[in-house]
Amino acid sequence: MILHVCRILGLAVLTIALLAPLVQTLLLSFVSTLPRDDIAKGALTLLNYRNLFQDPDLVRSIWASLSYVTTNMVICIVVGLPAAYGLSRYSFVGDRHVFLLLIAFRITPPVVLSLPVFLLFAQVDLLNNPLGIALVHCLFNVPITIWILESFISAVPREFDENAFLDGHSVPGFFVRHMLPLIAPGVAVAAFFCFIFSWVEVVFARILTSTGGKPISMAIEGLFGFQTDVGLVMAMTTLSLVPGIVLVFLTRNYVARGFQITA
Amino acid sequence: MKRHSNAAWWYVAPALAILGFVGLIPLLSVVNYSFFDIFTLESRFWVGTEWFDELVGSADLYVTLGRSLLFSGLALLIQFPLGLLIALNIPKNGLGRSILLIVLALPLLVPWNMIPGMWLGLIDPELGLLGRIIAGTGITFDYKFNAVHTWLLLLAMDTWHWVGLVAILAYSGLSSIPAPYFQAARIDGARRWAVFRFIQLPRLRGVLTMALVLRIMDSLMIYTEAFGINAGGPGKATSFLALELGEDIAAFNYGPAAARSVLYFLIVLLVAWTMTATLRRHGGTNG
Repeated sequence: MILHVCRILGLAVLTIALLAPLVQTLLLSFVSTLPRDDIAKGALTLLNYRNLFQDPDLVRSIWASLSYVTTNMVICIVVGLPAAYGLSRYSFVGDRHVFLLLIAFRITPPVVLSLPVFLLFAQVDLLNNPLGIALVHCLFNVPITIWILESFISAVPREFDENAFLDGHSVPGFFVRHMLPLIAPGVAVAAFFCFIFSWVEVVFARILTSTGGKPISMAIEGLFGFQTDVGLVMAMTTLSLVPGIVLVFLTRNYVARGFQITA
Repeated sequence: MKRHSNAAWWYVAPALAILGFVGLIPLLSVVNYSFFDIFTLESRFWVGTEWFDELVGSADLYVTLGRSLLFSGLALLIQFPLGLLIALNIPKNGLGRSILLIVLALPLLVPWNMIPGMWLGLIDPELGLLGRIIAGTGITFDYKFNAVHTWLLLLAMDTWHWVGLVAILAYSGLSSIPAPYFQAARIDGARRWAVFRFIQLPRLRGVLTMALVLRIMDSLMIYTEAFGINAGGPGKATSFLALELGEDIAAFNYGPAAARSVLYFLIVLLVAWTMTATLRRHGGTNG
């Protein structure tokens, strides 16, 4: 009984601690934080949100963010699924090195590669373009996707593939029609992690969008200046959390159903 | 048992092609730059290993490395026990589970450059929710000039940011343990600790290793959040590895920055290699 109360209490404290910085942000997003003619500083208002949607740069940044993250997820799943399948089902010359390479690239800090990535992307015309960010974020998201999908594929018995191939499916047909429905939870979990790491990344996003195509994080950074409208910054930050919350909500049961990861 | 077939390379090829483009080519150019003194990309001079000699020969590098290792170590010591404790206490189903999972994931969804601002707002002694409480106790929390306070703030912020990842991964691993394991343990009369030590922990090795790899490197190479709090200060008290590299790049010292990058990548390789070796040794049949 006492244990039960402690547990509830502990979880409540945890929830409050995790929410505190966010509550602060949410509160400020409803407060007018600049001296204005028609409204007192510190008054409660929806003004920040109205200003946000009237600023074309900010609205454009929301679309830029959504489009690069979606593109990144699609690329990661499309190249990650066959790779995970190959690594799960076969051993081949160099498979261990592939695995090492995946981990190494996953944990390479963006700041280490930011300059050459900028120079490379300038040559192939990928600057200020959501596709550029989507591609460079594959550096850490493709390994994560492969890692997660491999654990789900390994849980599918090999006989399943053999039966599918005996039915006479091509390799792409096999992945789309047979494998994908079976490991849908894995795809959801992988997409969730791709989103988490891509949506919030700023080092690559900054260096690749110096003059245009800025995602939300960079658009917010552009709001800081001589007289920063803190309320507007907080409104934008609050808004930036919404797509993630939706995604977490949709994938919560898949994450909770559990997955195992092995080497 | 896995079948042996080198044709499986075709499955992996598209993924490797992308990683080659965004990873390997930039990496090779960094290695190339590290041997040059670069004024502009057109006018550069071969300097051999000068940048490396300078870097490895200076005490600064080792002090910074020690500082980053200390930060990373402290962060892991806090976040792993805490994350595991949370994961073990998340309800198995119902509304409580959904709410907790979402709350735990929330900090992971905030753009990294916004996190320092959020926390500075939180501890503002006049306006912040936490700052007013601290001010009420009479303590002056001076993150700008008191190095201990800066470290405390960074550790609190980093824990807030990442403990959810550890907890979510651990919870996911726990959920995949079949129920009969626990029933058997109950019949044997196993204590809570024994269940954790001999049933839950071994089954968590995979996900915890993944969490460990991610957390070690992200905390060792912390950049955006630490820069936003105090730009490496006071003095050099929070000037971590990635911040020093960022400084080199910002000052257009591309040669030395490249040499530093190469060195950091070697650290990355070392960590990655250690992790794969560890996983493989314990991986048993799955190797």
